[in-house]
Amino acid sequence: MKYLPFVLRNLGRNKLRSLLTASSIALAIALVCILRTMPAGLDSFLSSIASNTRVSTHNEAGMVYAMPYAYLQKVRAIPGVVAAISWQWFGGAVDLSKGVAFPNFAVDPEDFGRVYEDWNIAPQALEDFRKYRDAALVGRATLEKNGWKVGDVVTLQSTVFPMQLSFRIVGEVPNPRATQFYFQREYLVQAFQASGTPIDSTGMIWSRIDDPDRVEPIMRQIDEMFRNGEAETASETEKSFFGNFFSSLKGIVAVIQIVAGIVTLCIVFIAANTASMSVRERVGEIAILRAIGFRRKIVFSTLLAEAAILSTLAGVAGALVSLGLTLMLRNLTSSGPQLGPLTGFIVTDTILVQALFLAFLIGIVSGWLPALGASRRSVAQTLREVF
Amino acid sequence: MALPLSYGWRSLLARGMRTVFTVAVIALVVIATTLFWSLIASLKRTLVSSGSAENLVVMRKGATNDGSSQLTLESLQAIRFFEGIARDSEGNPLISPELVVQPFFATADGGRENVLVRGVEPVALLVHDEVSIAEGRLFNTSSGEAVVGRGVAQRYKDASIGSELKFGRGTWTVVGILESDGSSFESEVWVDARQLANDAKRTLPYSGFRVRVAKGADMDALARRIADDPRFALEATREIDYYENLSSSANTLYVIVVGLAVLAGIGAIFGATNTMYAAVQARTSEIGTLRALGFSRAAILFSFLSESVMTALFAFGVGALGAWALAIFISWLLGGIAFGAATFTTNVIQLRVAPVDLLMPFALSVLIGVFGGLAPAARAARMRPVDALRKA
Repeated sequence: MKYLPFVLRNLGRNKLRSLLTASSIALAIALVCILRTMPAGLDSFLSSIASNTRVSTHNEAGMVYAMPYAYLQKVRAIPGVVAAISWQWFGGAVDLSKGVAFPNFAVDPEDFGRVYEDWNIAPQALEDFRKYRDAALVGRATLEKNGWKVGDVVTLQSTVFPMQLSFRIVGEVPNPRATQFYFQREYLVQAFQASGTPIDSTGMIWSRIDDPDRVEPIMRQIDEMFRNGEAETASETEKSFFGNFFSSLKGIVAVIQIVAGIVTLCIVFIAANTASMSVRERVGEIAILRAIGFRRKIVFSTLLAEAAILSTLAGVAGALVSLGLTLMLRNLTSSGPQLGPLTGFIVTDTILVQALFLAFLIGIVSGWLPALGASRRSVAQTLREVF
Repeated sequence: MALPLSYGWRSLLARGMRTVFTVAVIALVVIATTLFWSLIASLKRTLVSSGSAENLVVMRKGATNDGSSQLTLESLQAIRFFEGIARDSEGNPLISPELVVQPFFATADGGRENVLVRGVEPVALLVHDEVSIAEGRLFNTSSGEAVVGRGVAQRYKDASIGSELKFGRGTWTVVGILESDGSSFESEVWVDARQLANDAKRTLPYSGFRVRVAKGADMDALARRIADDPRFALEATREIDYYENLSSSANTLYVIVVGLAVLAGIGAIFGATNTMYAAVQARTSEIGTLRALGFSRAAILFSFLSESVMTALFAFGVGALGAWALAIFISWLLGGIAFGAATFTTNVIQLRVAPVDLLMPFALSVLIGVFGGLAPAARAARMRPVDALRKA
């Protein structure tokens, strides 16, 4: 510790160079943070929203193949199913020219709170969602993005059905990544009746099972029940459902990871270059230090500390920059449902910690060789060369 | 008098390791941006190249894609003989009624993906004249046969000619392979429209019509006439606009790649500036000598600047090659990159670095070279020969 002022002094010697190096490292760290939010968004979506006792049941043939709505009652009647709701994709857009900006579904409000009891939706919001025919529960991300608040009335034009519906927002899904927009199935049913073509099908059923150990047998029981029926079903856990749903993003995620890796390598080179420059400049000085009795270990560790401190400080700055930039990105981009959780752009604590650790590590790696070289140089030889 | 370029070039070689570092940094920035840019460009190319400039897409008003549109037989009959629609040699209008559904397909690794299955009639091959049967033959109507795109045949199991492919409610025999120059049709499966409507239990048989406009006919007039027909709520869009629109979900990625280029570019500029400052400092006496010999400030400035630009251009070459090789490697490793377009179906994309994808990284490298060299070169040029010589 007593050498800290010495190390800091050395860093301040060539202020321009330290600043330039720190800025490049900071920018690169910010980049890595931003890139990492994309795969991390997917991971955290899969692990946080996905529960192990929630089960999806849909037509075996595909998501666009419907099922009779009557299936819902049959699923609810199975012992072990705590609650179940149906899910109908509405494909509503606020502005048709911008397309479907967030996923929206018609659901059954009575059981909604019990199927998603882990989402911590306010009891008052759930009650209003049951009570008012035009009620809507909206994810926090969508509320913030559109500047909506509870009590607002919003109109969605469906891209799937020839209809337009107005909703009153009664509550939020309190998760900063939640983009979904839910409304009452009954509201949709009435709109269909008014247009003369009643709807008696649904796209999917979500149910909650009382015990994680019973999930497997109950899923099998559901699919067995509808075998050879009007629509054969496939049931799977929520995790497996979303994992499959977003599996097509794997390739893009892989490329993003590779790019993040390349940027990291880039920082190592920038930092190593600087470290070697500052060491080369100081060969004479280091030789004198050694000559007046400072040990190799001290020389080595002060040089290493110099690189590590510079890089870590730059990492802190980079992490802060990434927080600001992601805020900008969130407002700038419109995240369609296709890229889904990739474009949440939320820098989590984990990413921040990883970034700081990465910055520190880069400092060590980049400073190691130059510091080692400097401390190993023969004192007599150097002094002779320099003076 | 200007300093010869070889002075800058030789100076670069004289500084071996340091030049390698700088080149490595810029090359890595080039690789990162090129790779990301090509990913999006390949994605857009795949989608956009699917449209034909001579075709219109007719859908229900308000529908944004094939998958969410439903049309009746009557509406087909109504517009079939509109003026401006191209005819084949027997006088039949070139209008292809199509039904699109998105069933699950099993992937090789046990997962599943939505694949676009297009129910068509034989006229489809005339309307989509860029699509051809590369192997085998077209399906026979009502026979449970299917033709699959080249990408589908590679990606999913049981999708080669002669196999029994299970999707939807039935089992289909694969009898042919579709090719269309890498467009998204190669990620589709084509079957008989009526049979598909039965399989999907769709009461309305069609999701859209693709219309080939006659040569010399007014495309917009035809589109307006279709849209204005009061009996049916139809909408007609140019096919290229339709696919352009579908690919717009990739635009978010463009924002990111531009951000990446800017941030990484600035980082590299700082790195290059750093190195060049060191170069100027190390050569103080040399600069003094040159100035004393009579080389002008402009000559010194230009020389240092060209040194920096040369480094950047060389790094660009290295980076471009690296990105090109890496793209091929990634494509090979992943068997094509999947992307869910607006229809939530999977497009198989071959990641490829096309020459135009290198324009942005090239401009970036030049900027890095110029801005990285500017401040140090200016410092070198400002030096007074007396001071420079004395310092040395």
